[in-house]
Amino acid sequence: MDWSFFAQLLLNGLVMGVIYALVAMGLSLIFGVLEIVNFAHGEFYMLASMLAYFLTAQWGFDYWATILVVTGVGVAVGYVLFEGLLLGLRGEAFERSILLTMGLSMVLQNGAVFLFTTNPHLLESKLSYQNIVVGDFRMPVARLYALGLGFAAFAVLYLILHRTRIGKAMRGVAQNRAAADMVGIDARAVSRLAVAIGIGLTGLAGAALAPVYAVHPLMGFNFVFKAFAIIIIGGLGNISGAAIAAVMLGVIESLAGGLLPLALTDAVAFLSMIAVLLLRPQGLFGRGVRV
Amino acid sequence: MTGRELSLAVIAGLIALFALPLVIDNDYIMALGISFAAMSVLAGGLNLIYGYTGLLSFAQVGFFGIGGYTATLLVVDRGWSLWAGAAVGGVLCIAVALLIGYSSLRLSRHAFAIVSLSFALLCAIVARDWPELTRGSMGIPGLPTPVMDLPGGLRWRIVDPSDFYYLLMGFAVIAHGAIYLVVTSRLGRAMRAIKLNEPLAQSQGINPLSYRLLALSLSALLAGIVGGLFVFYLTIIDPSIFDFYYTETMLISVVIGGPGSFWGVLASSAVLAVLPDMLRFTADLRMVLYGVALIVAMLIFPGGVGGWLYRRQVARWRRPKPKAPAP
Repeated sequence: MDWSFFAQLLLNGLVMGVIYALVAMGLSLIFGVLEIVNFAHGEFYMLASMLAYFLTAQWGFDYWATILVVTGVGVAVGYVLFEGLLLGLRGEAFERSILLTMGLSMVLQNGAVFLFTTNPHLLESKLSYQNIVVGDFRMPVARLYALGLGFAAFAVLYLILHRTRIGKAMRGVAQNRAAADMVGIDARAVSRLAVAIGIGLTGLAGAALAPVYAVHPLMGFNFVFKAFAIIIIGGLGNISGAAIAAVMLGVIESLAGGLLPLALTDAVAFLSMIAVLLLRPQGLFGRGVRV
Repeated sequence: MTGRELSLAVIAGLIALFALPLVIDNDYIMALGISFAAMSVLAGGLNLIYGYTGLLSFAQVGFFGIGGYTATLLVVDRGWSLWAGAAVGGVLCIAVALLIGYSSLRLSRHAFAIVSLSFALLCAIVARDWPELTRGSMGIPGLPTPVMDLPGGLRWRIVDPSDFYYLLMGFAVIAHGAIYLVVTSRLGRAMRAIKLNEPLAQSQGINPLSYRLLALSLSALLAGIVGGLFVFYLTIIDPSIFDFYYTETMLISVVIGGPGSFWGVLASSAVLAVLPDMLRFTADLRMVLYGVALIVAMLIFPGGVGGWLYRRQVARWRRPKPKAPAP
C-alpha cells in the first residue's frame, strides 16, 4: 500500500468523522441537558441535506448562503421541536422521548419518501469538480470546506459552553439538575437552547455534506445509527467525548473500508460500542463529570 | 371480569381461532391470521420487556431475523429439520440477548435502548453485506416444505396457508401462554415493581438485572422461533426480514394496546394485523399515520387503551360504596 492511498483514506475518514461529530454532539448535548434521546436526529440531518439541495439546485443560492440558511432553519426547528413536542413530555421520560421522536421520524422520513421518492439527487455545483491535487493525492474542495466548517463549529460550541452565562447554565443542568434548579437556573430556557443548538449542528452537518454525497430521504437512518454508537463510546452526555469518539470512528471506518471486508467495516461501530461497554462502561472519556 | 368469565372467554376465543379455517378456507383470511400470529408474538415479547420491566428494546426484530436466518441455513445447508433449526435459532437468540443485555444494562437502561437499536440496524447491514453466509441482498428463495412427524406414524406436510395458520397460531398460543404465566406469577410482580420504582424494588431484595435478563431472554427465544417458522411460510428470506417496519408495528401495538397490559397488547396486535389491509393506503402514508399515532399516544395517552381501562377500574374501586338500605 502506498502512502498516498493511506493518506487519502485518513483524510476521508477525518472528514467523515467531523461530520459524525457534528451530529453526535447535538445528540449528546440534548441527552446531557434533557436526559432524552432524539430519535429523529437523523431525519433532521436528511431534511437539512434536502433543503441544501433545493436551495442550491433550484433557487441558485451559493455555498455559504446555503450553509447559513440551513443552519438557521435548523436552530429554528429546534426551538419549535422543543416548545411543540418535547415540552409535552413531563417527568421521567427517557423511553417516551424515544417513542415520541420515533413517531416524528416516521412522519418525516415517510413523508419525504412520499413527496420526493427515494431517488437520490446529486447536488452539482462548481464545488463538485474542484480538487486540490498534490502529487497522486486528490482532495475535493467540498470535503475540505466540510472539515473546516466542522472545526469552526467545535470552536463556537466550546466558546458557548465555557464562556457564556447560558452555556455555563447548560453545563450546570447537565451535571446536576437538582442543584441547577436550586440556584435558579431556568431549566426550560436552557433545554430549549440545547435542542436548538443540537438541531442546528445537525443542519450544518447536512448542508456541509450535501455536495459530497447523494441526497435522498433514507440517508438519515444509517447515519443516526452511527451517531448513537458514538455517544455511547464517548460516554452518554459527554460532548467532547462524543466529538473525539466520532473522529476516531470516522478514521477507523475509513481505514477498515480500505483494508477489510465490507461486513466488518459496517460492524466496526457496533463492535467498538460493545467493547467499550464491557471494558469501560462510563465511555472512553467518562469521568464522573459530564459535558 | 372474574377469573371464571375470563377462562370461558379464552376457551371460546381459542375454539373460534382454530375453527376458522374449517369455516372459511380463504387464503387471504389465512394470511391475515398468520401475520397476526407472528406479529402478536413479537409484540407480546416486547410488552414483556417494555411494559413489565420498563426497558425499551429495539432488538426484537433482530431476534426475529436471526431466528429466521439460523433456521433457514440449518435446513438448506445442513439438511436439518425445521423444528431443530428453529429451536437452535431460538437458543442462539438467547445467547445474543444475554450479550447485549448484560453489557449495556450494567451501565443503564438508556444504554440498553441505544445498544438494542444499534444491534437491530447492524443485523440488517450484516445480512446484506456478508454474502458468504447470508447470500446477500438476493436472499435465499425456495425454502423447502416443512414436515412434522406426528405420533402414530402420521406425517403432516405443511404446504397450504391453512397448514401454516395452524402451525403459527398453535405456536402463538403456546408463546402467549408462557408470557401470561410469567406476568401473572411472582416473577411478573417483581418485574412490575422494578418498572415502577427500581431503587425500592432493589431494597426489597429484587435484583433488577436478573429479572430484566430473564424477560429479555424469553422474548428473544419466542421471537427467534417465530422468525424461523414465519420465513418458511414466506418461502424466502432476505435482509428485509430485519426491516425497521416490523419494529415500528410492534411498538405501535404495545403503545396503543397499553404497555404492561397483556390483553390490551393482544387486542391491538389483532387490530393492527387486520386494519392496515382494509385501509389500503400506500405504505409510506400508512407509516406517516402510525407515526402520528405514536406522537399523539405519547403526548396525551401514554398508558394506551390498557392503561386507560386500568385507570377507570381504579377510579371505580376508589368510589365510596353506596350504603346498604336500612332494613
